[in-house]
Amino acid sequence: MKQILMAAWLAAGVATGSAFAADDVIVLGAAISQSGKYAREGKFYVDAYTIGVDAVNKAGGVKVGGKSRKLDLKLYDDQSDPALAARLCTKLVTSDKVNFLLGPYTSGIAIAASAVAEKYEVPMVEGGGAAGNIFDHGYKYIFGTLANAELYFQPAVELAAKSTPPVRTAALLFSNEAFDKAVAKGTRRWLQQARIELVYDEEYQPANQDFSSILTVIKSKNPDLVLVAGHEENSLAFIRQSQAADVNPRMAAFTVGPPTGDFRKTLGKAAEYVYGITTWLPDMDLPDAVFGSAPKFARQFQDRFGYEPDYHVASGVADVLAYKIAIEKAGTLDPKKVRDALAALDAPTLYGRIKFNPGGQIELPQTLIQIQNGRLVPLYAGGKTLGKALYPTPPWSKR
Amino acid sequence: MLAVQVLVNGVLLGGVYGIMALGMSLIWGVMKIINIAHGALIMLGAYFGFWTFTLLGWDPFLALPVTLAAFFALGYLVQRFLLNLIVRAQLFSTLLVTFGIGVVMENLARLLWSSDLRQVTPRYQGAHLDVAGLTIPHVRLGVFFTAAALSALFLLVIERTRLGRAIRATAQDLRAARLSGIPVAHIYAVTFGLGAALAGAAGALWGTLFPITPTMGGPLTLKAFAVNVLGGLGTMLGPLVGGVVLGVIEAFASTYLGPTYANVFSFGLLVLVLSIRPTGLLGRAP
Repeated sequence: MKQILMAAWLAAGVATGSAFAADDVIVLGAAISQSGKYAREGKFYVDAYTIGVDAVNKAGGVKVGGKSRKLDLKLYDDQSDPALAARLCTKLVTSDKVNFLLGPYTSGIAIAASAVAEKYEVPMVEGGGAAGNIFDHGYKYIFGTLANAELYFQPAVELAAKSTPPVRTAALLFSNEAFDKAVAKGTRRWLQQARIELVYDEEYQPANQDFSSILTVIKSKNPDLVLVAGHEENSLAFIRQSQAADVNPRMAAFTVGPPTGDFRKTLGKAAEYVYGITTWLPDMDLPDAVFGSAPKFARQFQDRFGYEPDYHVASGVADVLAYKIAIEKAGTLDPKKVRDALAALDAPTLYGRIKFNPGGQIELPQTLIQIQNGRLVPLYAGGKTLGKALYPTPPWSKR
Repeated sequence: MLAVQVLVNGVLLGGVYGIMALGMSLIWGVMKIINIAHGALIMLGAYFGFWTFTLLGWDPFLALPVTLAAFFALGYLVQRFLLNLIVRAQLFSTLLVTFGIGVVMENLARLLWSSDLRQVTPRYQGAHLDVAGLTIPHVRLGVFFTAAALSALFLLVIERTRLGRAIRATAQDLRAARLSGIPVAHIYAVTFGLGAALAGAAGALWGTLFPITPTMGGPLTLKAFAVNVLGGLGTMLGPLVGGVVLGVIEAFASTYLGPTYANVFSFGLLVLVLSIRPTGLLGRAP
């Protein structure tokens, strides 16, 4: 029995060994949440990395110094634990000897993982962490493709300030996680600039699903605008409970949730009039060298995984594409040279123009969207009106 | 007025906390097993409610008898064929095994149903009563009264029936119970079955209020444990009192100090109760 096990173990070892030892393969490694509280969003990135790598390989791989190389993925489950993510990234770099790192999901975990990448001087392009404090350590090897958290609610606040009847008061509710705190920090600034009075400004614990007390207070302050930064399940719970508690702001916007398909499916009619934020929509007119265009990518993704990609997915695919373009530019797999090529990158992709600021974060404008008749309608981005908002949101009794 | 509304919120939520904790208390009281899988059972109950609602169109409240029966059967089998093997082992072993059962359930749920958020959305989900300036959602009211009714029914079974007497006898003195001809293995299984049925019902009720995910169980085990320690672990009325007390304290802390203080206060209170009345509000010294 022992011998059989030994043989099986050896066979398995040889099999995985051979897949990665060949020098014509470039291995991208990542720790990503496949279980635990971020399993849901983590899956977006697993699927995104998978389809990205497959598409690059199908399109001829990555050309390095006249030779075409295939991409390979090495993924571990970080169980939604930042400390484990950091350990797994260390393992990826030191014992699996992956060439480059892709990112985990959520800012709190990205902060932990980015420190490892920096320490070993291996580039990490991550599409799942948007808090500014990932990028303000002066790290040289970290690049992020999610837009800065502090900018998330900017279009919502700007449009609210221009609406009639005007928005004069706002309530801001955010989870006590790194990303959402950064969102709140930025939002206070936008509200102040727009001269909207902040009548409620509280943080909550994202594990808490009961918003009844919070909604009671918000209702008593009767704000025109409600802004919520948290996880998708928090957004869902908040909307459903605000219906039951009969809380009726003129406008309610959420950082995460509205752009995803199952958010609309789960909430049904209660999702109508809800505002959301996204940097990316599947029908945006964005050409792409690998997939053809954003809509073509969206169709291919939907066919393969059975759900509509949102901006998390697009951001994850953009990470893989960024590596392809940067490695081809650098013409080598040397981590330092690829890092320099990433820093100098300026390339159009299905996710938008990938160009990192000196801190390593992408600068993409956020688009305010609204759910109208089950569809995502872009309303406002970069100071420009893109569509007509159904404003003010009618009270629940009239919907 | 705000304070009254907050009190109502707290009491209504406390009802679910109570029924969540009741099953755990019973299992501890009779077998001295801390059931770490309790939250996972609640999670399965929530999914049970979701699937019967989505696939069969059953109202989550009206489907409760089926939920109770299904989870009683599940609990009975788990105890009879698994936990009975280790029920006499040290506390640590039972902790470990129930923890393992919880992990298995959570990951099975994730494999079978994915991590997608689920929600039970009956037609009346947004309906509410306006009474004297108070807003009382139908669903919360329904959940509270259902939880109260189930708890009362359960207390009746434990206090007034022959089966209940056998369960209490087993809890009080195992050897005497055996000598009087009580089939202890069966009673243990029935007890765990009742505990699981209550967890399943609590989950089905929870699912009418909050989103359902495979990972929701962990925090709920903790919450149920806190409610029990507060009210008196092993007692039957303790969890209900503890649930309402916890619900009200969370609601007030969240409203007047900020939502992040809810846990500070509820666990602070826990420490306070443990240091002043280690047996809980209604617990008696052993």
